[in-house]
Amino acid sequence: MEPGFTLAQAVAEASRCLLCHDAPCSTGCPANTAPDVFIRKLRFRNLQGAARAIKERNALGGVCAVVCPTDGLCEMRCVASGIGEPIRIGKIQRFLVEWAWDTHVRPLRAAKPNGRKVAIVGAGPAGLTCAAQLAKGGVHAVVFDKRPEPGGMLVFALPEHRLSRAFVRREIEDIRSLGVEFRCSSPVRGEDDLKRLFEEGFRAVYLATGTWRSARLDLPSHGSPDVIEALAWLEQLKREQQGSRARVRDRTVIVVGGGDTAIDAAVCAKRAGAREVSLLYRRSFLEMPASRKEILSALDEGIHLLLLTQPIEYVVRDGVLEAVRVVRTTLQPADDGDRSRPVPLQGTEHTIPADVVIEAPGLLPADDVAKFSEVALDHNQRIIVRDASGATSRLHVFAGGDAVRGASIVAKAVGDGQRAARAILDQLAAEGRQP
Amino acid sequence: MTTTKNLGISFCGIEFENPVMLSSSPVSNTAEMVSRAFEAGFGGVVYKSIGSDDVKIVHPSPRMASYDQGPHKLVGLQNVEQTSDRPIRDNFEDLRYLKRTWPTKVVVSSIMGFSKSEWRTLALASEDAGVDMLELNFSCPHMTVEGAGMKVSHAHALVGEFTNIVRNAVKIPILAKLTPNITDITEPAMHAKNGGADGISTINTVAALSGVGLEDHVPLLNVYGKGAMSGYSGPAVKPIGLRCIAQLGLHRELGLPLSGIGGIETWVDVLEYMLCGASTVQITTGVIHYGYRIVEDILEGLSYYAEARGLGSLSEIVGSALPNIVPTDRFDLSRQGVACYDLERCVGCGQCYIVCHDAGGQCLRWDGHARRPVVDEHKCLSCMVCSFVCPISAPPLITYKEAPNKPPVIPPVSV
Repeated sequence: MEPGFTLAQAVAEASRCLLCHDAPCSTGCPANTAPDVFIRKLRFRNLQGAARAIKERNALGGVCAVVCPTDGLCEMRCVASGIGEPIRIGKIQRFLVEWAWDTHVRPLRAAKPNGRKVAIVGAGPAGLTCAAQLAKGGVHAVVFDKRPEPGGMLVFALPEHRLSRAFVRREIEDIRSLGVEFRCSSPVRGEDDLKRLFEEGFRAVYLATGTWRSARLDLPSHGSPDVIEALAWLEQLKREQQGSRARVRDRTVIVVGGGDTAIDAAVCAKRAGAREVSLLYRRSFLEMPASRKEILSALDEGIHLLLLTQPIEYVVRDGVLEAVRVVRTTLQPADDGDRSRPVPLQGTEHTIPADVVIEAPGLLPADDVAKFSEVALDHNQRIIVRDASGATSRLHVFAGGDAVRGASIVAKAVGDGQRAARAILDQLAAEGRQP
Repeated sequence: MTTTKNLGISFCGIEFENPVMLSSSPVSNTAEMVSRAFEAGFGGVVYKSIGSDDVKIVHPSPRMASYDQGPHKLVGLQNVEQTSDRPIRDNFEDLRYLKRTWPTKVVVSSIMGFSKSEWRTLALASEDAGVDMLELNFSCPHMTVEGAGMKVSHAHALVGEFTNIVRNAVKIPILAKLTPNITDITEPAMHAKNGGADGISTINTVAALSGVGLEDHVPLLNVYGKGAMSGYSGPAVKPIGLRCIAQLGLHRELGLPLSGIGGIETWVDVLEYMLCGASTVQITTGVIHYGYRIVEDILEGLSYYAEARGLGSLSEIVGSALPNIVPTDRFDLSRQGVACYDLERCVGCGQCYIVCHDAGGQCLRWDGHARRPVVDEHKCLSCMVCSFVCPISAPPLITYKEAPNKPPVIPPVSV
């Protein structure tokens, strides 16, 4: 991870803040963080209050500070841009969270238990946030996850250079200290498991199972082991599985895709010693879903960006990948006002040498959700919710995060978790009032 | 930068190549240091105060503390610096060396006696070392001995008495350095004049406490568990220095040349002191913060100013601001104004709205949709607090404008 601010740097940066009236930076954070509050508290030397202001609103305030594409959110709205550079809000936020860890200030305090318990399935950003907020409401929140430790993508997929496992663990300790219970290596897979949870006395279940399957390109790889699925490879790298780096070392790598996962895979390949890494994307720079900050830092690492280029065939000889056949595209406006549509340009087909291809065209929901027979899914296998609270077709079952919205940024999953927790607390309170 | 020839000024009969001196402090502690300051461009030095060898000087450790404001370091500086801790012989040897090596620079010896005979001896020894002038230290704020340092300025008669002893001992010009820690600085100044002083230097540091430890409850600067009220300097005290120089400059009977001290870092600061009546200035904290090199931009800035104003000599502007310094009852209250907003350049932070609402006349409304203030000029107090917090300066977005025939704005009854 890049180094965080020191106290002096944070104070200096906060001193540039204009301390706006109804500050635009604090409107529209998907995780409901209010930078104007914590920056003002830092400015007036109330560091403890500043750390509380972050964590009270966003239990993953540290993680968000590191991975959030702030350049397109709070920092984009910063009024100081009118006279210079925007305030580096993410860096200040990260400093305050780390300051609280380093000084053993616990900004969040556990609530008095009210005797009710709620199950959360999936210990990623949405699940962790929901659990933290339920715990603050006095609920005994139990988080089930099939992996051996909590954190989801944050711990098992995000490259170490972007978000270190140690950093996430510190933030999860804050959540654990609220009384949240984690049951790891405990998958909740099907209808029977779900029923059992209710029988065990859980009053509600929050499904936050994420998007753990890579979409694949519809191209035959002819059995070549050098056509790799991005997410699976990132997981291997994160586990430091033997041979995961060797798959790309000294080789020419092509990554296909334009999202954060594609960027992560490209940068990781370069850092793992790939000779050359090119990112193939069929639309233009402006359509890339990845955050601008991450794309630019990938360019700084020496990654080549091949835009308006679409793979059409893998050239495999004797089971060995030799090249990728590609075609140039042109963009046509989409009919429904969505992103523009890439259309292949006839006669521009050509071949690019490649030893390894990493496919990262997108992420899909984990298989597990399909087995909850009474929870309705859409055609993309995403859980259908009735409203912003995340209520599903099934009573007392809520859902949020990537499992509902598809692969997205951490802050949005955090927002989902917060809204669901509020709805669940409201529901428990309403049931408590019934005779 | 070579065009400093028009910066010369005459002060107490001594010709200075420029009006900028080191003041008596750690920055003028040895001839080696002062030589480097001269090389950098300082026109003179008031050498570190010399006392008699009879009093053994040991400096507390630490001896200074910085007063910071957010990320701004050394807005103020507290010190418990004593007189020179070097043997008196070494100091006079250094003074002799300085005058011999730098004949065009002005060397002033600062002395501090604890008895009449000490004042006389130190003055004679200084003159014998060949210095151009004397500065009598009547102003160190952290002295404990009665009749010494700042306590001399407090006992007005002693100022006259000690000055007179020195006057009768030496022929070179004498400056009395006075403290701002006093009700009326002109009183000891008149005693100095009557005792035979040729000029006044001020201010010495302001007695202060620059902070208190929240854990150990020990004030700064913390010398092994104890603090003391002692001298405070730097940009934070410049307004006090300007006030004291102006008081002396305005006094009807004083009429002595002045050397201005307190928070000087730039040519602008120097000019402000000169406009209030100082012919020369002295600097320490600016050097403690930035080194001797600050003099380069001071001299260059003064030269450009003199050139732009067509000044033959800086002496033409000494005291030029004094006729404009009046008691508050001489203000023209028939004229009122308003704060004018150039909203084309507004970035929409709303700080003007906050301070007008909480500290001004509540004449602003906040248009949250447009993110701009809406001004009701009829309610504007023209207090200008909005302009103090507006981040758009150079040129300022909010400016003062006279509003002819506008009556003074009085807030109505609240309920």
